[in-house]
Amino acid sequence: MTTQTTTTPTGAAPGTRVAGRPPKKRSTAVDRAPWILVGPFLALFLLTFVLPIIVAIGQSFTTVTRAGLFGEQGVTTGFAWFENYRIALEDGNFVASIWRMLLFGVVQVPVMIVAATVLALLLESASARWPGFFRATFFMPYGIPGVIATILWSFLYVPGLSPIIDLTETLFGFTPDFLGAGTVLWSIANIVTWTYAGYNMLIIVAQLKAIPPEMYEAARVDGAGPWRTAWSIQLPLIRPALVLTTVFSIIGTLQLFAEPQLLMTVSPAIDSQFTPNLSAYTTAFAYNDYNVAAAQSVLIALVAFALSFLFLRLTNRSSR
Amino acid sequence: MLAGCATPGTTSVNAQPVVPAAAGEKVTLTYWAWLKDLQKVADVWNAKNPGVQVQVSWIPGGNDGGYQKMYSALAAGGGPDLAQVEMRTVPEFMLVNGLVDLERYGVSEHADKFDETLWSQVSFAGGVYGIPQDSGPVGMYYRPDLYEQVGADVPTTWAQWAEVAPAFRDAGVYIDSFPLDDTSVFTAHAMQAGATWLRSAEDGWVIDMAGEVTLDVARFFDQVIDDDLVTTAANPYTPGWYAAAAHDQIASLVSASWGDALLQSVSGAEGKWRVAPAPRWDHGFGSSFIGGSTSAVLANSKHPKEAMEFAVWMNTDPEGIDAMIEHSGIGWSPARDYIGAAREEPSEFFGGQRYNTEVFQPATQDQNPDWQWWPITQQTFNILGDGFRRKATGGTLVDAVVAAEERTIEVFRQKGLTIRKAER
Repeated sequence: MTTQTTTTPTGAAPGTRVAGRPPKKRSTAVDRAPWILVGPFLALFLLTFVLPIIVAIGQSFTTVTRAGLFGEQGVTTGFAWFENYRIALEDGNFVASIWRMLLFGVVQVPVMIVAATVLALLLESASARWPGFFRATFFMPYGIPGVIATILWSFLYVPGLSPIIDLTETLFGFTPDFLGAGTVLWSIANIVTWTYAGYNMLIIVAQLKAIPPEMYEAARVDGAGPWRTAWSIQLPLIRPALVLTTVFSIIGTLQLFAEPQLLMTVSPAIDSQFTPNLSAYTTAFAYNDYNVAAAQSVLIALVAFALSFLFLRLTNRSSR
Repeated sequence: MLAGCATPGTTSVNAQPVVPAAAGEKVTLTYWAWLKDLQKVADVWNAKNPGVQVQVSWIPGGNDGGYQKMYSALAAGGGPDLAQVEMRTVPEFMLVNGLVDLERYGVSEHADKFDETLWSQVSFAGGVYGIPQDSGPVGMYYRPDLYEQVGADVPTTWAQWAEVAPAFRDAGVYIDSFPLDDTSVFTAHAMQAGATWLRSAEDGWVIDMAGEVTLDVARFFDQVIDDDLVTTAANPYTPGWYAAAAHDQIASLVSASWGDALLQSVSGAEGKWRVAPAPRWDHGFGSSFIGGSTSAVLANSKHPKEAMEFAVWMNTDPEGIDAMIEHSGIGWSPARDYIGAAREEPSEFFGGQRYNTEVFQPATQDQNPDWQWWPITQQTFNILGDGFRRKATGGTLVDAVVAAEERTIEVFRQKGLTIRKAER
C-alpha cells in the first residue's frame, strides 16, 4: 500500500541536475528550457500513465474483507501477497479468455498483416491506377470508430436483418450462423481485420515510399520483373514496418474489448469474460472487485509484454 | 490522492452522525439518472419548493456505464445526492458503503405509501437503502390472431403453455424466446415459482439457489429448449427478435409491464397484441418482477433528509408519477394507491384493452414477498449466464444453476461475508 505514495514527488519536482553534462557554464534558462517544454507531457504522462500503473500494481496485492451481511461489522484492508493472482489464475474463464485471444491472434494477425502487405505492394506497384484514391478507400474503415463499425457489422450478422444471410438462403438454401459459439470469434476477427488492415497498410506504404528509386532502377537494369522486385527488394526492406505492425497487432489482440462487448447483445455465445480485458472490466466495474481486477490487468500486461518480447527476439535472431 | 490509493468503499457513512436538515438556506440537490427528461419532473417539484432545487444529470443506464461512474465518484469522495440504482443493485452499493440508511432520516413514516413487496426489497438488516422508483410486474403479451390460427387457447399455466407450444412450431412460429444470457428472466420465473435464492438472516446469508423449486423451473426450460419450443437465438427486444416479431414468428412474450412501450417498436404491431396474466406454476405466485429501480441517497450527500423527501414525493405523489410517466416513460409505479392517470385509460395499441388495470395491477398483488437481492447479484447473474450459454454446446440449465450456487458461495467467502446453504 505504501509504494504508491512514495513515487509521486519525484515526478512533480523535475530533476535539475541531468547526468553527464559537460562542465561548460550555461545559462540556467537554457538548462531549464527542455524541462519546461517536456513538462506538460511529463506531468500528464506521470499522472495518467505511470501513477495508475503503480496504483494498479499496489491494488493487486491488496485484499479487502468484510464482516457481517454487507461489511457493517467491520471492513479490513490488508496485504494479500499473491492471493488475488491466485484467484485470477484459478478462474477458468479468465485463463480460457487468454487462450482464446492467443488462438485469435495466431490466425487473425498473420491474415491481416499479409492482407495489408499485399494491398501496400499493389498500391506501390508501377501499374497501380489511382493509388491515392484506393489508399484512402482502404484506410477508410480505420476512420470509423470501432463501436460504430461493430454495430454496422452486427446488422450483417443478425439473422432476419442480414442481407448476406438472406442471400445465401435464397441462392444456396444454407443459413450461416455468424454469432454461434464456434463462429463468433471469427466474426470478430473479420471486423478487426476490416478495420485495421488499411491502417497497417498505410504504415507499410510509408516504408515502401522510403525505398530510394535507384534501388528499383538497379533491379530493373538487372532484369528483375515486378514479382522479383517485390520478393527481393521490397519485402526485405519493409521488414521493420512488418515487425512493428505485428507487435502492435499482438498487443491489440490481447486488448480486444469494444467489439465483443457490443456483439454481446446479439450473440449469446459471448460471455462476460470472453476476452481478458472484458474479464478485468467485468471484475472491476460489475463486481466492484478492484483488487482481483488489478491482478488480472497486470497478468494481461505481462502476457502482452512476454509475447511482444518473444516475437522481437525471434525476428532479431532470424535477421542475423 | 491518498484516498485514491486506498481500496474504495471501506468506510461507512451510516456509522457517522446524522446530517441535520438544512435550516433556512437554499439547498440544491443533484440527481444522476438514466430516465429521459427527468429534469421536467424535477421542475414540477422545483416550482413548488423554492428552498430545495433539484438538478438532474443524465448518465448511461446501470451497467452500461452509469454504475461505473457512480462507483468512481463514490471512491473519490464525491458523487450526487441522489442516483438511480436498480433494485437488484442496491445491496451491491451497500457493500461499498455507497448508500445512506434512510431509516435514520425517518423514512418509515412513508413506508405505507409503497408496494409492500418492493419496499421489502430495499430493506435490509433494519435499514432502508433506497426509495422504490419503478418496477416491472410480469404478464404475458400475446398475438390472438396467431393463437387462433393454430387453434390454441391462451395458456394460464406453464404446463398448458408447454402443451400448446408444439402447434406453433408446425406453423413456423415460436411461442416465446428464452434468453440464455439475460438471466433476469429465468430469475423471475424462479421467483414466481416461490424460490428465494438468498435471504439475510441474523447469522449471515442463507443461499437456496439450487433448491428443488428452482431446479424444477430449470428442468422445465431444459426440456422446452431441447424440444425446440422456444428460440434461444434472439433475446426479446434485440434487433433479431424485433425482426422475427414483425414477421409474425413470435406468438407471445412473458415479460414485464415496461415491455408495452418496447413492443410498439415492432413494425406493424399496432392492434395485434393483447395482454394476459403470466402462466402459473402449480405452486408459488401469479407474477414476479423483472427490473425496477430506486432513487437512492448516495453516501456523500450533504442533504440526505431533503433528498429523501424529494424522492418520496416524486415516486408517490400523483403529480410526480404522472410527470414521470409522461416525460420519462417509467416502468410500473411502486406507489400503493396510484398507477398513473394515463395507465387507467384503454390502450389503442393493445386494441382498446385496459391491460394495466386488468393484468398488471392485479399482478402486483400476487408477488413473492420473501425475495431479496444480494451483494453480488450481478456476479451471480453473470456466472449463471455463462453457465446457461453452455446449453448451446450440450450443457444443461440444471447444471448451470448448481454450479452457480457453488460459485456464489465461493465469492461471498472471498469477500469475507458469512454464507451457508439452506437446509434442504
